[in-house]
Amino acid sequence: MVKQNYKNGGVLKKSIIWWLLFAVLMSSLPMAFSLGTLRIFIFANFIAIFAMSWDILSGYTGYVSFGQPFFIGIAGYASAILTSHYALPLYVSMPVAVVLTMVAGTLFFLPALRTKGTYFAMVTLAFMEVTYHLVQVVKPGITGGSRGITGLPLLVTGAVANYYLSFFSMLLVAICLLAIGKSGIGTVFDAIRMDEDAVKSSGLNTTKFKLFAFMLSASVAGIGGVLYTHYLGSISPRGMFDINFLFTILIAALIGGERSIIGPIIGAYFLTFLLELLRPYIPGSWRYLFYGMTALVVYNYFPKGLYTMITAAGDRIRSGMKRGEQYDSKAS
Amino acid sequence: MTAKLLEFKSITKTFGGICALLNLSFHVDEGESLGLIGPNGAGKTTSFNLIMRELKQDKGEIYFKGHEISNFPTHERVKMGISRTYQIPRPFNEMTVTKNIRIGLMPDEILRVMNMNSDSKKEIDIAKNIGFSEKQRLVFPNELPMGDLRRLELARTIATNPKLLLLDEVFAGLTAGEITELSNLLKKKRVEDGLTYIIVSHDLKSLAPLVDRVVVVNFGEVIAEGAFEEVIADKHVKKAYLGT
Repeated sequence: MVKQNYKNGGVLKKSIIWWLLFAVLMSSLPMAFSLGTLRIFIFANFIAIFAMSWDILSGYTGYVSFGQPFFIGIAGYASAILTSHYALPLYVSMPVAVVLTMVAGTLFFLPALRTKGTYFAMVTLAFMEVTYHLVQVVKPGITGGSRGITGLPLLVTGAVANYYLSFFSMLLVAICLLAIGKSGIGTVFDAIRMDEDAVKSSGLNTTKFKLFAFMLSASVAGIGGVLYTHYLGSISPRGMFDINFLFTILIAALIGGERSIIGPIIGAYFLTFLLELLRPYIPGSWRYLFYGMTALVVYNYFPKGLYTMITAAGDRIRSGMKRGEQYDSKAS
Repeated sequence: MTAKLLEFKSITKTFGGICALLNLSFHVDEGESLGLIGPNGAGKTTSFNLIMRELKQDKGEIYFKGHEISNFPTHERVKMGISRTYQIPRPFNEMTVTKNIRIGLMPDEILRVMNMNSDSKKEIDIAKNIGFSEKQRLVFPNELPMGDLRRLELARTIATNPKLLLLDEVFAGLTAGEITELSNLLKKKRVEDGLTYIIVSHDLKSLAPLVDRVVVVNFGEVIAEGAFEEVIADKHVKKAYLGT
């Protein structure tokens, strides 16, 4: 019993040390890399935020959502319109946009929550597509139609400042979601994925918990969306409600490892850099073929994701060491 | 003593053109143990599904502690004190035994659930009480034999702090030794927690010592009711079971 407690405490302390190391390492990157590389990191950080937002909903509860761009787009457009048409400052428009994403997301997805499995995925995908078209047709004067809105105010300027902003936002989101995932809430989400009816008959209102997962996911995507929009300084329907954008987010979460929050971060970095590193060697859109193939191979051989692969390797090394320790303790 | 805990009042339930329950009524008194028996397809599990609101009845009312609960969703009914086990155990397969029990213990409030991430004394107590060894508590359900899976179902339902337990085919697929063990456990829990049981079972021999009264259902209707020995001797019951 005592041993168990000690072990849990040890793991927690160790993980804090890992996070600190990660933060320090990442903070020192601007000294080592060119501004171009930093911009890749910035993009990876945003993809990581989006992938984590997918993970807390779909990875945990098993309700596969194709609607992340819908959230991101709503948040981006809301803030873009508020700043460009109503000349509101960013510190007003951004929180309003995030709240709006949660409200709009909740309203639109309440009917979706009644569906399950593939149907849920289809309904969320439909929302993304419908929004893509609506944004271009309805009030193009405000949304900028198919060309979108440009010349939006930036939060900070320069690659270095943007890098720090995106990285620490990502880190904050990761720590919050990880804490929730490791709490009892994560256990309930897990249980919903395994057998929703059994959760109901354990006295839990699954609709309430699913809605919470949903709003959590929407708020994270919303935060990512406004930061992303005001990093780019422009927004367009093609850039937001694009199926490729959706798949990048999804694949990042899947390749990195669902249900771990850390996995999607690894996946986001892996995918973004894979694409960028291929750029000099493979011309044009051919690199997307390699990217797709790599994703397929990784997913086929490590269906639980890169993160699980890394931790499994770590466990193996550690268990080898523990066997040694046990031997030592027996000897003494 | 004889207050009706649950009353199932003229319930009708059809699936398409098939009538699963036809004007079915029965009740269970507080502290009583009721056996619900009948041939396959008689409507026993359907009754359980209706009591838990996993299905909705077409006609009729269900009363619990005197309140009409027909429109209450499943989780509300569980909070009122009704809980069930499934015919085929439905554990959360990627969770250890204690974590499975934890789901049953969780309050239906997001903020309070957030703090429930470590082994609480309560879940260990329940696991111990149901008879899981320290080693078994950290095991995943797919490593457990059928008898232990049934006990895990029981542990998770007891964790919801029920007044009324619906036990669906608790003895199916168990060895004679496991049946004795589980029977003793059920007897013990009934006294300890003051539980009321409705037990569905095909294993009449094992059921007999556990129940005070039996209701026999066939084709969605009650065909006999009374003490176990009386009911078994009834010619309608014999006919339903043996077909002659």
